[in-house]
Amino acid sequence: MLFGMLDEVFFYLGPIPVDHIIVTEWVIIALIALISYFATRDMQMIPRGLQNAFEMIIIWTYEFFTQLMDKEHVAKKWAPLLTGFFLFILLSNYSGLIPGAGHISGFQPPTSNWNVTMTLALITFFSVHIAGFSEHGIHYLGHFVSPSPLMLPLNLVEEIAHPLSLTVRLFGNIFGEEMVIAFLLFLAPFIVPGAIMGLSLLLGAIQAIVFTILSASYIAAATGEGH
Amino acid sequence: MGVALGAGLAVSIAGLGGGIGMGAAGGKAFEAIARQPEVGGDVRTLLFITLAFIETLTIYGLLIAFMLVGKIQ
Repeated sequence: MLFGMLDEVFFYLGPIPVDHIIVTEWVIIALIALISYFATRDMQMIPRGLQNAFEMIIIWTYEFFTQLMDKEHVAKKWAPLLTGFFLFILLSNYSGLIPGAGHISGFQPPTSNWNVTMTLALITFFSVHIAGFSEHGIHYLGHFVSPSPLMLPLNLVEEIAHPLSLTVRLFGNIFGEEMVIAFLLFLAPFIVPGAIMGLSLLLGAIQAIVFTILSASYIAAATGEGH
Repeated sequence: MGVALGAGLAVSIAGLGGGIGMGAAGGKAFEAIARQPEVGGDVRTLLFITLAFIETLTIYGLLIAFMLVGKIQ
């Protein structure tokens, strides 16, 4: 049960076991896709309703990432991925707060599973290097020996440490929060866990923001000038 | 018994250090924002990144605690 091993396999998709985490992820992806589809179904020159809200979010994220990364074309290129991270992690974190979560089998935030956060961190890892190569070409390799070739092992360790810390941070926070809520539910079933649940609303949003900002700053470091 | 004590100590010592660090970082950030409210946005972003890095160390302690709890019979 610990560290998100597969516990309840629903069915097999070829060699891949499909458990409740994967189904929850599918539901979240479908939800985001459906809302985006309805928001952009018939776009108007003068936006109204959902389209208006989406345009506001997109302009806001573009401005935010441009300010964070200093280069507008890099920010434009990577903002969709980073915003996707944010929405997915936010909805995953909040999916543990739906009434019935914990009682009905298969309601568990996907981000409280080690494998899911590792996957997200690996996507960041590869996009950082893809961003670096597409920005600097082969000169990007020079960034690994940046102050002097002596620093090569340290730089490599740093590259491994980035996805590892992203994984552990998101997993530890959400899993720890779930454990605290479960324990409080066991001690005092009414009202008391509500306080922690309110706190975890804030925590889920902050963790989503932190993952997004850190990914953005790693991409900014890989595409930036100098080192 | 030793394993349980170790798990408790791992998370409590990690939390202690992380708490002190976060307090210092947050306090300085609030001072900076109070002195110059116009840099609030930048300071807030940097504060989030800093707190995330400090928090990681605490979370490592929590992770070790989980691993140790898994070992208790």
